[in-house]
Amino acid sequence: MQPPRPILAVAAVATLFISLPVIGLLQRTPWSSLDELLSSESVIRPLLLSLLVSVIAALVVIVLGTPLAWTLARVDMPGRRVIRALVLLPMVLPPVVGGTALLFALGRRGLIGQWLDRWFGLTLPFTTLGAIVAAVFVALPFYVITVEGTLESGSDELEQMASTLGAKPTGVLRRITLPRLLPAVGAGTALAWARALGEFGATITFAGNLPGRTQTLPLATFLALESDTEEALALSLVMLAVSLAVLVPMRSRWLPGRRTEQ
Amino acid sequence: MSALHMIGTAHAGNLKLDVDLSIEPGETVALLGPNGAGKTSLLRIFTGLLPLTGGRLDLSNCAVDVPRAGVFVEPHRRPIGWVPQDRLLFPHLTVRQNVGFSPRTTRKHVDQLLEVLGIGDLADKKPDVCSGGQAQRVALARAVAANPDVLLLDEPSAALDIDSRHLIGQLLEDRGDRATLLVTHDPVEAATTADRIIVLESGHVTHSGSPVDVRTRPRTRYAASLAGLNTIAAVADNATATTSDGALVVLGEPATGPVHLVVPPVAIALHRTVPDGSPRNVWEATVAELQPAFGRVRVVLDGPLPIVAEVTPAAAEVLGLVPGARVWAAVKATEITVHPA
Repeated sequence: MQPPRPILAVAAVATLFISLPVIGLLQRTPWSSLDELLSSESVIRPLLLSLLVSVIAALVVIVLGTPLAWTLARVDMPGRRVIRALVLLPMVLPPVVGGTALLFALGRRGLIGQWLDRWFGLTLPFTTLGAIVAAVFVALPFYVITVEGTLESGSDELEQMASTLGAKPTGVLRRITLPRLLPAVGAGTALAWARALGEFGATITFAGNLPGRTQTLPLATFLALESDTEEALALSLVMLAVSLAVLVPMRSRWLPGRRTEQ
Repeated sequence: MSALHMIGTAHAGNLKLDVDLSIEPGETVALLGPNGAGKTSLLRIFTGLLPLTGGRLDLSNCAVDVPRAGVFVEPHRRPIGWVPQDRLLFPHLTVRQNVGFSPRTTRKHVDQLLEVLGIGDLADKKPDVCSGGQAQRVALARAVAANPDVLLLDEPSAALDIDSRHLIGQLLEDRGDRATLLVTHDPVEAATTADRIIVLESGHVTHSGSPVDVRTRPRTRYAASLAGLNTIAAVADNATATTSDGALVVLGEPATGPVHLVVPPVAIALHRTVPDGSPRNVWEATVAELQPAFGRVRVVLDGPLPIVAEVTPAAAEVLGLVPGARVWAAVKATEITVHPA
């Protein structure tokens, strides 16, 4: 079938729209002094911190999000729709508002935060842990919505079949449910990790902007833009490279889209 | 001693099942019934996926579902093998992993089943490359590998190729003490593979008896119209077939080898004298028994070809049909359907 020309034309415009900023970034990158910039402390520190925060946040999201997605998809309970709406809220909430909310809940004088401080001496704002909490808050819904969709579309017939063959409930979970869930877990993790890596608003509001502790790549880039354009470009390039390096290999395996030819 | 005994009730959607049936070890029973009669729901009760609301269910003489006593044995602890209608193969596992899924099986048993059912070549492939017949064989092997006391097959040979039919038939033959319950709405399959037929209609057992009993004495209109078909074992040689009683039957379609001939009772014409005209199969028979059946009369005939005919009460009157009367029976070759055995 000949693809309709208007559709191709719009698709070309959309592709251009996405790639132009990337081209703009590459074009302005100070390639000659790049080596020096990339090895400077002001780039390395936020990069390592960003990787640390986003990877730990992604792991926490898997641990918290999988049971939550399963419960939302499979357990028939009152108020399920309300809970689902609540869980998805951080997706639509402006991150700065999310950060503010976190501050009033988990901050030193917050609802829970004051007890954390008094009982455990645990303070979240202005710590790396706080940056992780902010990243988990914004990234969790992306994971839950992906995994829940898969759990809902597959009914539990295969699990029932497995049980009639003598598999105990834990065995059914281990041998049927989890392996079948793996592609969605991969896709959800990729989305959540990407969201955590790019997180800006909630982090700066809740965790602040302390170099080495809470100043992640997006924060460092924003700040550098005001003082040192070349450094901002180098930081942006690093983020672009990290994102591509992780998302491109993931895409063919886990993200939805065309399967590679078999 | 029974492999399965149920006397109880359950609800499946709008249907209320109220069933009393039992299956002996080593017995093959066909569960025959129209769509929506509750056949699949009954299997779900046996597997433990649908709980009883009253009564009791025993498997191998152990109570597994007695609601009033608070007894309920989980599906994974029941000695049941289930081959569901849509097979439900595990798509993320290979054929060998599917067959060997049960913790109750052994590697040796799995290898043996793969070979017997001719799916050894597929062992390391995923089920999505299997044809319908192959998938059915994998599902059957997986259930049998778990060494169940009772094997439940839901419409096992719907749309099966001859090879698969043959291999599955062989596996079911070699059953030992294992009881088999075969759900079908195909009366020929029921009559040819089962020791006994149980007819289920609207959630109730309306008849339980040998294939001959259900054929000659159907108790409901459904049983009369479907289970009441004559099914005759024979060996075909091109245009003719010889029955196990030695009668020669002219066929409408050429066939060879062991077959089942299916003749609807209404296709058999009865005459007081030798009929002339086109029917190729004409023989003299003795009326053994007359049964009124839902506005018709079923005439059980003795003779070279024991068979049941169905006529109107008026025709029975005119023909002077009484037990012991001699009549001529005729059936056109084209009315006989030939099924490979």
